[in-house]
Amino acid sequence: MDNELTALRTLFTEFYYWMTVVLMFLIHVGFCMYEVGASRYKHHQHTLMKNTLLIPLVTITWFFFGWWIYWAFPNGPYIHGGGLILESEAFIGVAGFGANELANPTNALMAVNLNDHIMGVFWAAFLLFSWTAASIVSGAVIERITTFAFGILAIAIGSVFWSIDAAWGWHFNGWMVKLLGYHDAYASGVIHAVCGGFALGVLAVLGPRIGKFSSSGEPRNIGPRNPWLVCVGLFLIFTGFWGFYAACNIPIFDLGPEYGMEGVTYWTATNIYITPTTLGGITMNFLMSLSGGFLAGYWVSKGDPFWTYSGGLAGIIAASAGNDLYHPMQSLIIAGIGTYCAYKLHYIVERRFKIDDAVGAVAVHGYAGVVGLVICGFVLWGYPSSGYDGYAAINPIGMIIGAVIMFGVLGFLPGWILAKILHGAGKLRIPRDVELAGLDYNIMEQARKDERAVASSNR
Amino acid sequence: MKELLLQAIDKGGIYMATVTNWVDHLTASEVAGQIYPYVGTELWWVIAGIIYWLWWTFATATGEDEEHQKLARKKHGANEYKNNIPEW
Repeated sequence: MDNELTALRTLFTEFYYWMTVVLMFLIHVGFCMYEVGASRYKHHQHTLMKNTLLIPLVTITWFFFGWWIYWAFPNGPYIHGGGLILESEAFIGVAGFGANELANPTNALMAVNLNDHIMGVFWAAFLLFSWTAASIVSGAVIERITTFAFGILAIAIGSVFWSIDAAWGWHFNGWMVKLLGYHDAYASGVIHAVCGGFALGVLAVLGPRIGKFSSSGEPRNIGPRNPWLVCVGLFLIFTGFWGFYAACNIPIFDLGPEYGMEGVTYWTATNIYITPTTLGGITMNFLMSLSGGFLAGYWVSKGDPFWTYSGGLAGIIAASAGNDLYHPMQSLIIAGIGTYCAYKLHYIVERRFKIDDAVGAVAVHGYAGVVGLVICGFVLWGYPSSGYDGYAAINPIGMIIGAVIMFGVLGFLPGWILAKILHGAGKLRIPRDVELAGLDYNIMEQARKDERAVASSNR
Repeated sequence: MKELLLQAIDKGGIYMATVTNWVDHLTASEVAGQIYPYVGTELWWVIAGIIYWLWWTFATATGEDEEHQKLARKKHGANEYKNNIPEW
C-alpha cells in the first residue's frame, strides 16, 4: 500500500468483509435458537451442543482442506480448463489464483501476513457460509442422530461438497458458469439447494423420529415447543442474511481494466462473478423477497407462525439466485412462488416418502432453492453470466442442469451415501431407548439431584 | 533478571521471533509478509492440528457410545424425564 487511496481501498475492503463475518455469526446464533425452539425439552441440550460443535469442526477442516477445494476445482475437474485443479493464473490482475498459491494451509497467505489484508477475511466469510451449510442439515435431523455422525456429515457438507459446488458454480472461473451460464448470485443453489438435497439424503436413511408417523403411515405434527424462540431465531437468521448478502459482493472494484476496456475506469460493487450490481439494489430485493415469502407463507399455511417465519426465509432463498439483477417486484413474486412450492412439496414428500424433516429444512432451503434457480433461468435468460469473453449466457436449460447438480449430484447423493455408510457401521442413529428417554436424561437427572441437595441443605 | 534471561536466550540462539526489530523490518527494501513465529514450519503445525482433530473425533465418539449404552440399559419411559425437571 504505497499511497493513501490504495490503502483506503484495501483497508475498507478488509473491514467490509470483517463486518460481514460478525453479522453472519448471527445466522448461527439464530440456528441454535431455532433448533432448540423446535426440539422437545428432553433433547434440548444435546440439540444445542450438536449445532455448537459444528463451529470448531467445520472451521478447522475448512482451514485444512475446504478453502483449498474451492480454489482447486473450478475446472470440474477435467470438464473445462483442461486439468485436475486450477493452475495459477493472472485472471483478475493478480498473479497466483490457484489453490496452492492461495489456499494451501501451509501457504504464506494463510496467516498474519503484512503483504495481504484480504485473504483472512475472505476465508472467514466463506467459512461462515460453511457453518450455515452444516447448520441447515443440523435442524432436519434433530433428536435422533448421534453427535459423531452429525460431525462427519457437517464436515462433509460444510468443508467438502458445498465447497466443490462453489468452485463449480460460484467462482468467476467455474466450469458451470462458463459452460452452462449458471448464475446464482446469492446462493439459492450453491448453499441452499445443495444443503437441502444433502439433508434429504441423510433423512432417507436416518428415518423419522419415534411417533412421527402412525401405524397407518399418517404423519403426526411434532410442532415447535417454543414458537417464540423459533421466531427470534429466524429473525436473527434474517439479520445474519444481510451480512451474507454483503459478503457475496466485492464492495469496490474497477471493472474498466478488468474487462479490458482501454482507458475506462468504472468503480462499482460486483457480485461473486465480478459482474456489476449495487448494494442499494440488492438491499431492496432482499427486503422484497423477505416480504414475498412472509405473505405467501402466511397465506399458504393459513396463518401458521412456524411456516410464516420459515416462508420469509424460503422467499429470500428462492429469489437469491438473481437478486443482483431482479426488479424488486420480481423478487417479491419469485419469493412467493418459491415459498408456496416449498410448503406444498414439504407435505407431499412427508406423506409419500415418510420423510421426517423436523424443521422443514429440505423444503425451505432445498425446494425453494431449486425453484429459485429454475425461475432465474427464465427471468434472466440472455444476460451474460460474466463480463469476460467466452462464457455462456444465462439460460433455462443451464440453470435446470445446475439445479440438478446442486440438489441431486452434490447434495442428495453424497448425503445418502455417507448416511448409508454411517448406518452400516451402527453410528448414525442413537439407540431407541435413548431417544425415548431423551438425550438429556442423565443431565436432567443429575440436575434434579443437585436441586434436591441444595433445597434440603440447612446452611 | 530480565538481562539474565535475554543473555541466556542469546547464548542459546533460540529466538522464536520472526521479527526482532519493527523499524528494520518495515524499512527493508522488501517487507517479508509472514510475521508469525517459526516461519517455515507451517507444515508441522498443520500436521499437529490434523492429529489433534482425528484424536478428538475418536475420543468423543467412544465417550458418546458409552453414554448412550449406559442410558439405554436403564429403559426409561418416554415421559419419565418430567420427574427430573427442577423447580425454577
